Amino acid sequence: MTLSAIGLSAMRSGRIILHPTSVEIEPGARIGLVGASGSGKSTLGHALIDALKAQGLQVAHVPQSPDEALDPLRSLAFHWHEAAQARGLADGAAHQRAIFSALKIDGGDLRKRPWGWSRGMQQRFVIAMALMGTPDLIVLDEPTSALDPVIAAATMNLLDRHLERTNTAMVLITHDLGLAARRVSHLMVMAAGRLVEEAETGKILNNPQTSEAKRLAAHRNWMEVPC
Amino acid sequence: MMLTVVGFLVRAMVVLTGTALLTFALLWNAPGDPAQAIAIARFNAVPTQDVIDQVRAEAGLNASFWAAFLNWIGPLLLFDFGNSSVTGRPVGPDLWVAATYSFPLAITALAIGLAISLPLAILATRRPGGFMDRFAVAIASLGTAIPAFWLGLLLILLFAVQLAWLPAMGARTPTHAVLPALTLGLGIAASLTRIIRSGILEAWEQPFLAAFRHRGVSDRAIGRDHIGPHAAVPVVTVFGLELAFLLEGVVVVEVIFGRPGLGSFLTSAILARDFPHVQAVVLLTALVFVVVNLIIDVVYRVLDPRIGEPDA
Repeated sequence: MTLSAIGLSAMRSGRIILHPTSVEIEPGARIGLVGASGSGKSTLGHALIDALKAQGLQVAHVPQSPDEALDPLRSLAFHWHEAAQARGLADGAAHQRAIFSALKIDGGDLRKRPWGWSRGMQQRFVIAMALMGTPDLIVLDEPTSALDPVIAAATMNLLDRHLERTNTAMVLITHDLGLAARRVSHLMVMAAGRLVEEAETGKILNNPQTSEAKRLAAHRNWMEVPC
Repeated sequence: MMLTVVGFLVRAMVVLTGTALLTFALLWNAPGDPAQAIAIARFNAVPTQDVIDQVRAEAGLNASFWAAFLNWIGPLLLFDFGNSSVTGRPVGPDLWVAATYSFPLAITALAIGLAISLPLAILATRRPGGFMDRFAVAIASLGTAIPAFWLGLLLILLFAVQLAWLPAMGARTPTHAVLPALTLGLGIAASLTRIIRSGILEAWEQPFLAAFRHRGVSDRAIGRDHIGPHAAVPVVTVFGLELAFLLEGVVVVEVIFGRPGLGSFLTSAILARDFPHVQAVVLLTALVFVVVNLIIDVVYRVLDPRIGEPDA
């Protein structure tokens, strides 16, 4: 089933920060949402999540840093159990094992609190929680910018494989076109609260139409970074 | 762990010895003749010089400061508080009797304080800046501003004199404890409300809360499982300071309501220059402080294990 949200918009203190935008996502699609800081990427991401949730769909969100997703005073096991209950899932141990081994965090001690794990492991745990119960769409908001490049690449590889297996759609919000180029099939370019260009990744990289896309594509050196 | 325990014991010893030395020095150097004050308290009459000199010798006040101090602290190491200079009776049992009046009062007051402040603070923070919030802040500010001795008198006027529901003075029955406990408890409720309220408001600013709502965790569960523990850390910390207020309050309230607790014990001992009595109360107070602070240390290491970790 194609996920679609029509006429998404947002205002803050009387100013339009997201002009009406419609988004369609094929099942299992990989979409990159790129643009400069303040172009409305995250705003569109949140509006999209809210709209799809209102349709009764399961949408998971992974914020930039694990600090924005985990309570430092609670154990990781508590987080997992709480999230499972909130989604109305039984505490399926098999399901948990499958996700954990897909993300290679099955060796971690869940009795520890988040800060007992490395940041890369924490972020993988957050992604694992987002994958719980196989959502229709997972929205990742700069998921690897807090990680070092090698760990970020490994995390994205593991996530990629898991999404492929479960045919889950992904929206990757990033200002890092290098990351997007490797991970997504379609790019949506945002500028000043508007969706200015939308095409296959290769087309935008090689033949950008708008000035915003041209500016992003002009920085080719990101291609050398592993993630 | 072993190191923590030893460190704690060393610190406790330093605090207690320092407290003992300081109070002894203060009493020793207080203006006026202690022997005369003791003689007056003992015989309840103006004593002659012979009697005063005799009391001086009996109470060991002829010795030098250090000799007198060592003479007192030596037996204390074996938990012997010595004998009262006024009555000549051992201090220990009398101190215990006074404590059985004061500690239940203090604990009841704390319970009253918590029972009022916790619900009030939770209600207030439902809608920060709303009516309930402003009401709670106003009440709390008012409560902090009113001194215990004045509040105590007001309560006596209202409940003992006007309505005649409760007895005002003495400590014969449990109902005698209601007004003193209420006086102390309301003061504690006022300051705790402010602390708990700001603790909860601070906890709501934690960066991870939006993610929990996204995950579908109910506001109720977020409040109970995440806001609660985060708000508790500053509250527990300030609780130790609250204890100082409580001890000071107990002295004032016991004098107002004529209760024979540690406060009355201390004030009459100071007036009579009864060194062993004063010292015993001060040391007991210091001990309570040390123990409560130890408990607080342990509690917030349980709440937030990052505290006290060498590399967190």
